[in-house]
Amino acid sequence: MSSLRVVVFGVVTGSAIATATAAPVTGKLDLPPPPDRPPPATKGFLDRVENPLAPAKPVAVTPWMIVVLEGEAKPSSPGQVTWELPGESFSRPVMGAPAGAEVVIKNTSRTARTLVAAEDPKLIPAGPINPTGPKSFRPTEGGKVYSISDADAPHLKGTLVVVNSPYVATVDDAGKFDFGDVAEGSYKLKVFYRDGWLDGATDVTVGNKGKVEVNPKVPALTQPAKK
Amino acid sequence: MFLSKIWFFLVALAGAIALTIALVMPRPAQRTLVAEEQQRLVVACGVVDILLGDDARNRVDLAGQFSRTPEIVGALEAASGQDKLDEARMKAVRDVGEKVINTIQGRKPDFAMLVDRKGRVVARVALDANDFGDVAAGRPLVDDALAGYLRDDLWAHNGTMYFVSAAPVIKRDPPVAYVGAVVLGHQVTNALAQRLVKSLDVELGFYLGKDAVAGSKSLALDVGPMFDIIKKSSGELGRDCQANKPIGVTSGKDDYTSIVARLPGEAASKSAFYSVMIKRPTTVGFAGTMKVVTQSDLSFGNFPWILVGGAFIVVLAVGIVLMLVEADRPLKRLAADAVKLAKGETERLSEDGHGGKFGSIARSVNIHIDKLGREAKTAKKDLDQLLGPAPEGGLGTIDLLATALPSVRPGGPAPSAAPTPSDFKFNDPPPQLSVPARPTPMPMASPPPKPAFPPPAALNTPPPKPPTPAPRTPTPPSFPATPPPMAAPSLADSLDDDILGGVADKPADAAQDLETHFKQVFEQFVSVKKSCGEPTSGLTYAKFSEKLVKNRDDLMAKTGCKEVRFTVYVKDGKAALKATPVKEE
Repeated sequence: MSSLRVVVFGVVTGSAIATATAAPVTGKLDLPPPPDRPPPATKGFLDRVENPLAPAKPVAVTPWMIVVLEGEAKPSSPGQVTWELPGESFSRPVMGAPAGAEVVIKNTSRTARTLVAAEDPKLIPAGPINPTGPKSFRPTEGGKVYSISDADAPHLKGTLVVVNSPYVATVDDAGKFDFGDVAEGSYKLKVFYRDGWLDGATDVTVGNKGKVEVNPKVPALTQPAKK
Repeated sequence: MFLSKIWFFLVALAGAIALTIALVMPRPAQRTLVAEEQQRLVVACGVVDILLGDDARNRVDLAGQFSRTPEIVGALEAASGQDKLDEARMKAVRDVGEKVINTIQGRKPDFAMLVDRKGRVVARVALDANDFGDVAAGRPLVDDALAGYLRDDLWAHNGTMYFVSAAPVIKRDPPVAYVGAVVLGHQVTNALAQRLVKSLDVELGFYLGKDAVAGSKSLALDVGPMFDIIKKSSGELGRDCQANKPIGVTSGKDDYTSIVARLPGEAASKSAFYSVMIKRPTTVGFAGTMKVVTQSDLSFGNFPWILVGGAFIVVLAVGIVLMLVEADRPLKRLAADAVKLAKGETERLSEDGHGGKFGSIARSVNIHIDKLGREAKTAKKDLDQLLGPAPEGGLGTIDLLATALPSVRPGGPAPSAAPTPSDFKFNDPPPQLSVPARPTPMPMASPPPKPAFPPPAALNTPPPKPPTPAPRTPTPPSFPATPPPMAAPSLADSLDDDILGGVADKPADAAQDLETHFKQVFEQFVSVKKSCGEPTSGLTYAKFSEKLVKNRDDLMAKTGCKEVRFTVYVKDGKAALKATPVKEE
């Protein structure tokens, strides 16, 4: 499902620059060992205990990651980014969007949500997002990171990363990503994790033809991410 | 009286102490009671916290058992492989869930949620049973369960609080894999609250913010003060029972003491808390304590009536004895002595026979008696000095004590019935002067008393005729109406002096009266002297009146009296004169 959304996202963003000379850019993140599981956001009367039948799953980091190709190209026609809200969480906890793109939050759950961006309470139009009802907005300031939440459901949180690039993609469980067709040029590939950009960037050069594959190494995720 | 005073002081002190204790003791006792109640409340709060933990452990165990049920494992494994969930699958899985729930012994969950490994709700049992397909992942409890952990949480949903527990569903057949999770929810109800505190003798309430969710007793409490404490609470949740101070809350007419503690989990974001309450004791103060005294409190088994009664009797007896010994008996003795004194059976009060203040009274009375005696003697001596030694045929003794002594005198009854000397008239019947130590005045109109004097016949008979000329010319029995030429002028001169300084008529009358009085006294004196066989030669009215005038003036100057009256009486067989100051006419 995540891979599907990556492809769709790539198609949406790639269509905006279809007239230029381009080549597909894909890759796979060389992920470090998963970090230790953070303490639970909430705790009951008891501490959680591991089941005796199987080892606990490692922390899934890729849902919290997006990759971006930053170059000279700017999103002239950023298009639309759909962010699903299927229940008690967003389809992806971290979502990237080119500056100026229309972000559509689609509530497919059975509960109305009232979402607010902590950094800009006016970013999302006021009022609840009813079940099956979408709500859209258009962030224009590249480089901003918005923390979106519902006061009635403290566990419901999403991070929207606005970038000054038309090339932004999600990462599947295996660490793969696909930017689709990227215009010829030199780029830097950056990785956003949870609430900040990871150190280091990978140079990517896109020619006028041929597939470009990038496999950047992701630094250890134990350290707090840079904002 | 000293011991009586000490005793009364001690009794009053004991009474004051008893009253103070009665008024004060309820307060520390009340404080102690309140402190104990608050401590009991803290303990009960901690016990409730422990019971909630135990309950959570049981619920987690139940979720683990539920998740290990093969039917559940199979149903969720099958659902996890589907890209899209349909209603038929939902119902099939729901039926499985209901069957498993029905096999649970004891307290059954109020809802169950079966989640596949993607976090989708495959089916719900009991609550929102027709909803499915939504993503439950994202809630910490579900995320942890999907990751392989067992845990509990508190959820708030539509004003209802649920204790929830979750466990991963694991396919144990190789390859071992997580296929989903189960979530069981137990609604927080009144029955749950009652069960938690049934052995604690306290009340328990669960709240979401200012809204009451459930409680062991239906109480319309003002939640505001409790909510305020919750908003200010910080630190570790498990320390709330010790960290938060008990507060007073009211429910109608009842006052409660409450201690609050935050509840954990997701519901904490909605200020979920519980309150352990205890009814505040209403007996405050002395009156409140007295109100709740029961009959059994006053029974012989619970109250030392014998000790209290004995103490009362002892205190009363000691008081009575002290009163008798120190007041009643000495007063009775003094009263008896006073009666004897009044009767003349004794001249003084016995000082040795009376102790303390009564002895002081006796001494004071005796001192006064002695003082009066001394004054009488002094007055007598002064009069003798004034009159000079009685010459032969002179005036004799002038006694001024006749009217100075009290009516009841030591040594004998006073002449209470006798008229005052100033009232004596020579025609009056003789007064019954019965002062033994004193010579009885002898009115000239009556015969003198027999024991003392032979009754001079001259006194009982008309004035005798002038005897035959004697060597010493006796005073004629009938005093001439006009004063002698020598004496009258002297008196007249003194009267003239008075007349010159005063009103003209009254002094003249007074001088005439005085002259008359002197003459009468002179006649009586001469008569008595004769009757006593005393010579009267050389006794002239001029000398006699001169002496009386001088004596009168001195006595008036000394005593401040307005007039002096003289009477004649017999003393030691001789005629004597007694001068009586007259203070008011």
